[in-house]
Amino acid sequence: MTAPHPTPPTRGTWRIMWRLIRNQPLRYGTSLVTWIVIWSWPVLLGLIVQAFFDRLTGDGGWSVGWLMAATAGHVLGYLALIWAGIRLHASLMVRARTSVQRAMMAWIMRLPAARPVSETPGEVVSRFRDDTEHLQEAFDFSVDLAGAGISAAVGVAVLASVAPLLTVAVVLPLGLTVVAVWALGGRIARYRVAAREATEAVTGFMGETFTAVGAVKVAGAEPQVLRRMATVNDHRRAMMVRDRTLTAATDALVDNAANVSLGLVLVLAVGTISIGGAGGLSVGDVALFTLLLWRIAHGAQMSGRFLARLRQAGVSVDRMLALMPGGTAEDLFAHHPLESEVGVPAGPAGGGGSVDAPLLELVGVSSHHPDGTRGIIDVDLAVPAGSLVVVTGRVGSGKTTLLRAAVGLVPVSGGEIRWRGSPVADPAVELLPPRVAYTRQVPQLFGMSLRDNLLLGVEADEDDVDRAVQAAVLAEDLDGMPKGLETTIGPRGLRLSGGQVQRTAAARMLLRRPELLLVDDVSSALDTETEAVLWDRLFAEAGTTALVVSHRRPALARADLVVVVDDGRIVATGTAEELLERSAIFRDLWG
Amino acid sequence: MIPVRDYLALIAAHLQGLGRRVALLTVVLLTGIGLQLVTPQLIQGVIDGALSGRDQSELLPLAAGVVVLALVAMAATVAATALSEEVGWTATNRLRDELTAHVLSQDMTFHTTRSPGHLIERVDGDVSALSTFFSALVVKVLGNGLLIVGVIVLITLESWLLGLVVAATLVVGLLAYARLHGVVVPWWAALSATQAELYGQVGEQVAGTEDIVPNGASGFMQGRFAEQAREVLPRTIRGWSGFAVMWMTNELLFGVLTVAMFLVGAASVAAGTMSVGGVFLVVVYVRMIERPLSQVREQMQELQKAGGAITRIEQLQAVRPAMAPGGGRPAADGALSLHLEGVTFTYPDEEDGRPVLRDVTVDVPAGRTLGVVGRTGSGKSTLAKLAVRLHEPEEGTVRLGGIPIGDIDDLRNGVGMVTQDVQLFRASLRDNLTLFDSGVSDDRLRTALEDLSLGGWLDSLPAGLDTVLDAGEVSAGQAQLIAFARIFLRDPGLVVLDEASSRLDPATEALVDRAVERLLADRTAVIIAHRLHTLDRVDDILVLGDGQVLEHGDRATLAADPGSRFAGLLRSGMEDALA
Repeated sequence: MTAPHPTPPTRGTWRIMWRLIRNQPLRYGTSLVTWIVIWSWPVLLGLIVQAFFDRLTGDGGWSVGWLMAATAGHVLGYLALIWAGIRLHASLMVRARTSVQRAMMAWIMRLPAARPVSETPGEVVSRFRDDTEHLQEAFDFSVDLAGAGISAAVGVAVLASVAPLLTVAVVLPLGLTVVAVWALGGRIARYRVAAREATEAVTGFMGETFTAVGAVKVAGAEPQVLRRMATVNDHRRAMMVRDRTLTAATDALVDNAANVSLGLVLVLAVGTISIGGAGGLSVGDVALFTLLLWRIAHGAQMSGRFLARLRQAGVSVDRMLALMPGGTAEDLFAHHPLESEVGVPAGPAGGGGSVDAPLLELVGVSSHHPDGTRGIIDVDLAVPAGSLVVVTGRVGSGKTTLLRAAVGLVPVSGGEIRWRGSPVADPAVELLPPRVAYTRQVPQLFGMSLRDNLLLGVEADEDDVDRAVQAAVLAEDLDGMPKGLETTIGPRGLRLSGGQVQRTAAARMLLRRPELLLVDDVSSALDTETEAVLWDRLFAEAGTTALVVSHRRPALARADLVVVVDDGRIVATGTAEELLERSAIFRDLWG
Repeated sequence: MIPVRDYLALIAAHLQGLGRRVALLTVVLLTGIGLQLVTPQLIQGVIDGALSGRDQSELLPLAAGVVVLALVAMAATVAATALSEEVGWTATNRLRDELTAHVLSQDMTFHTTRSPGHLIERVDGDVSALSTFFSALVVKVLGNGLLIVGVIVLITLESWLLGLVVAATLVVGLLAYARLHGVVVPWWAALSATQAELYGQVGEQVAGTEDIVPNGASGFMQGRFAEQAREVLPRTIRGWSGFAVMWMTNELLFGVLTVAMFLVGAASVAAGTMSVGGVFLVVVYVRMIERPLSQVREQMQELQKAGGAITRIEQLQAVRPAMAPGGGRPAADGALSLHLEGVTFTYPDEEDGRPVLRDVTVDVPAGRTLGVVGRTGSGKSTLAKLAVRLHEPEEGTVRLGGIPIGDIDDLRNGVGMVTQDVQLFRASLRDNLTLFDSGVSDDRLRTALEDLSLGGWLDSLPAGLDTVLDAGEVSAGQAQLIAFARIFLRDPGLVVLDEASSRLDPATEALVDRAVERLLADRTAVIIAHRLHTLDRVDDILVLGDGQVLEHGDRATLAADPGSRFAGLLRSGMEDALA
């Protein structure tokens, strides 16, 4: 039932680390050096303890008082290093992660909306949160790996200076442990994936069951469904226990490898341990071995963890790149320093073109939905400056698609879009404010103040805002809010009613003072009276031009031109009066 | 504190039959701890033996013992983890199964007020917090705790003074940890809050690209994200500083112990009350508890969180279904008449407390088809649910074949319902058709599909009936047809159909049309119509508005009367009333 998961290649993921380092060479370097010292610091304690035991067995050296002072100094130094190291490191990590997040956000915001991200918002959030975290963890561990590796090397060197042959003999099992941990890494990753899939199977089945609860109850299928639930649960238990046991096994391997090695030291050196260590080991030397072997084993564990993290990061980078169609690793890892401002791309220029030509013109335009359902076919439509053009038709006739094609929200598969007589190569880039502004059928707002939602970064004075608020019939709503325009409206504007969201979106569009307004059906959130007031106020201003989808009388009666769409084609055009005589579909819609 | 008693109260019943494993676990765990405590004693023996000039052949077995014990201890640790995880997961799986059954037994008012996501969080999320509880509690807290106590006892045997120093330092250390934990947790909470804000922004900005890009606001929105992201840095540094503080406390603790060991060890050896091997033993023991100590500390913080999960599980268990199980009288065979009389219904958790249906009386004689139209919120779906007893009316009665619906024995064989959005399971086509009932023969399934003209589709599937359906690959129309097939397999006398409102491709639409025709033959039916030509084939029309019957009568008669609401709706294309 589950597809085999190939172990993702580690090749290439090292390059990812390099790209992250390249963005902050100085910070990385500082952090690296600090952490190598932190990792190697306990070796000093090993030497102090060695000296202590040598003193204890009467072998001279530092007095116990000095050794205690040295220990205190060692601890205080360690504390300072930890404090500095962690804070340096936090800064490095946050900056690296934010840079990647900003690169993704820039890409998504720059994507022509005709090719929106195909992932659900929930999945996108997971890429921003979880996948960047996996990347950060691998980056984090790259420093630890260097620290662990170098401290292990220092440790081995110190031991070798005491007893070279013995060192080789005992480091060998530790080396084998490292190899074993690395070799188990792939299996651990597989078990982890299987456990996660088994968990997803459980939550997935629960979700399906609770969603279909009505169907299950009406069919009386509860006993069978619960049996299936038990089966899925049991599979997950097996996968979980397997995963936890293997993880515990690798941990135990590392934890006990040091004891095994120490045992070997004793076995090999048992005849040579003596006071002063003449010809063999002193008790201090044994203590040194004991303490350092533990450190080295810990380094082995670290390296295994790093490899697992690195694999995970490779998968995460692929998932992040999937959010950036057409983007490469270069784009994802382009450096966005934390303090840097975002470069705002310039919009299209206003005005221009031929004054006589219609503002917007569609010539033989066809468009199909990405999901293959019907779109629009061979549409000819002109919107002259100063006119109101209303597109109408039954549910699913293609009227929304027509509007979306005009602003590049769906790809156009044939024909030409013209702005003031000049062909438009990419409507998603050229038909933006100050030329065109668009309000979709179910608009969305953002968790900021109402004012920020209206402005979205546009420079406007109080009069401009007032004018837009008045025209969009939003003033009465504002009167009911104690904080007025400074009211924060909750994530996605959820604290407002559907009508308020629609009116705010209309005001947001008007505030941009576009030459052409594109409005998709406001009827789902505005009652007929409010809609009538909205159109009255919009066209009270001279020079307003609008292309609107509607099937209600206030808009239809006011229109200079009504376009009836059916099955993706324009089937009739004219004023409402003319169409009442000529078009049966229009008569139905008029009611 | 760790909610051990609450945990046991909840889980004890589910531990039945696991006694042998728990006993084995105890043995393995104690063996492992014992071996870990013995190993340093062997090392001491070797050192003191060597220093006192004993023969190598006497010491070699001791040294070899260190190696062997390390290997056995390793095996014991792994076995303890495996056993405790097994016990923990088995017990919590039983709890999960029980809670799922409990949730399924609730009536629809429970389900309409709780999203599936919320229920998953209650049934799986909270229980999962307990899945690892057992293992963490037994192996990490109790096991490590025992090890630490053992170490302190053994150190005391070497030197009562050092034992006292170690015990006192650990107590002071644990108190300091607890204190610092209280300081540090708000730092982490602040970081989480800032991050939650950031990812909330990501979600809304990505969902709102069609609002952002065509309004020329993409630069502004990137700036907004960058600004929020800058907030994360100081909070992260603070949060990580909390981690640093805990680590530093740990190092300080062991630094103090090392100095104490030097002092007492040197003095005791000089006074002849301790051997050098004894001091060595203490050094090894102290280093040995470093990791167990941090594990105990971490797990105690983790396990405290289980308290919240336990409380929520108990709350869920306390919920009782409002609707009594039905039964008493058998339903008649064949088409069943449906009669609603004076039915009023309010959703209990509705804020304004307004009834969704008010005093609705409708009669659907056996074998006839009723088409229901009305705007969104007019009460159409609620009426459908009352007809199959997914809800019970607040006032009034619902009768099926003349019997009050709550009295019917085998109601589930008498009624069938197809909802607007058919939820398919990520399971085989067979399981989707039978809803996991393994007692239905392949021939019957094949016939049901062929009757719906899905025989060709079935043949095109790679594994036939065993093909696992992927939600993305099954169209809305096909999902409806599968739901129809479920009904054919059960052959109920009343069918309630909430038509799919999404647009179907012409081929599927034709299939669905034919299927609906077959579905309605020889059955009583209530159809919530979303397509005009479905209405062509119903016998009666019910127009609902604001929970009340606006119009009810023979379809042909209403359509012919230009003054009727239905005729008016037909003229306007019925966009709103079919929504």
